Amino acid sequence: MIDIHTHPVLVEETMKKDKQMLRVTKEVFGLHNRPQPLETFLLQMDVAGIRKSVLLPIDCTTSRGCRIYSNQQIAELVDRAKDRFAGFASVDPHSKSAPDDLDAAVKELGLVGLKLAPGIQEFRPDDEKVFPIYARASELGVPILFHSGLSWEPGSKLDPCRPLLLEAVATRFPKLKICVAHFGWPWVMDTVALMLKYPTIHADTSCLYADTPMEFIRQTFSCQIPTTWLERSLRNQVMFGSNYPRIETVKMVEAVKALGLSDGAQELIFRKNAERFLGSREVWR
Amino acid sequence: MKVHLEKLVVQSKKEMEMINITDKVEEVVRKSGITQGIVNVITMHTTTGITVNEGLPCLEEDTLDTLRRLVPEGLNYHHARYLDFDGRLGVNAHCHLRGMLTGINAIFPVENGKIVRGGRQNIYFVEMDGPLSREYCVQVLGE
Repeated sequence: MIDIHTHPVLVEETMKKDKQMLRVTKEVFGLHNRPQPLETFLLQMDVAGIRKSVLLPIDCTTSRGCRIYSNQQIAELVDRAKDRFAGFASVDPHSKSAPDDLDAAVKELGLVGLKLAPGIQEFRPDDEKVFPIYARASELGVPILFHSGLSWEPGSKLDPCRPLLLEAVATRFPKLKICVAHFGWPWVMDTVALMLKYPTIHADTSCLYADTPMEFIRQTFSCQIPTTWLERSLRNQVMFGSNYPRIETVKMVEAVKALGLSDGAQELIFRKNAERFLGSREVWR
Repeated sequence: MKVHLEKLVVQSKKEMEMINITDKVEEVVRKSGITQGIVNVITMHTTTGITVNEGLPCLEEDTLDTLRRLVPEGLNYHHARYLDFDGRLGVNAHCHLRGMLTGINAIFPVENGKIVRGGRQNIYFVEMDGPLSREYCVQVLGE
């Protein structure tokens, strides 16, 4: 199984080398748990049955004066466990060098996708000023995962995280693979509409904003939308994501499995869709 | 009176796990140089416990199964809400409650520099919300 959505923000080994990271994790990312050795991350994956996790950074240099992991730090973590991790890059959407920064992250650091978070990075994804970033991602053949919907980061606004803003990206860049993170919650129906209309648009399951994973996933994927939509129409575009360490991976795995999807749909959601989304780069060796 | 305190780290590898720490505690007592007194073993967390039992895998499984049965995961707990001071949801009420059942510490006499314990008594660190890197204190008090 593959987890398309994790943040390595509590990794003790990185914090020992970068003394600012603990403050950034607490104040900017808004997570206050105790740092843990990298081994804990890997054990959490083992317990959940996850073979590979995608590590996501956020470059909010202009909006917050920091990076929640740099591309270099992501690459270093991937190097420590190449068979367990794949790394995404992030770039500052307000920087003119953003397309070139993405280029370097992919070609020089071996990162395999791009993470953007319109709320905390304070940009609108349909703003043409950032389209050169999308153009470069499309040229490079790397997917973009957009934070969508509610986020827990302090000061991060909801409005630029509306999934429908991604329609402009999908139409202008028809070959670009896009993931609506967190299923765009609370705009779940909007996310569904995007996926129905644009096959390049995907969504991950990492939505958890109330109750327990079992309850919230059931509410979202059997009440807010019927489970049959995942089983039938969306089975090729939904990917498992946990949002670890805001939640333990195994709890999200159990919650998604409890939806009772067919073996075929689960195979797609837990593995095959992510493999296709990420492409055939060295990540799958 | 002399007081010797050590904080020890233990890496749990499962969601629930009984980790035998008897040797670790005995080592701290030996290093303390205290020959007459008591040793107190205390966990530093609210979703773990310290307990004492016979060091058999079957009893370890029975202990964990009983905790699961007494405090099921899927009940309607008030704790299952967003905790802004943590930046995440409180989805582990059952882990906290299981921890309360085991208690947070174990105390033994120390005599002639050794822990006085029954031949079948082992000291366990009980993980209930793992895998995580955890800490516990071993404090030796005496002369």
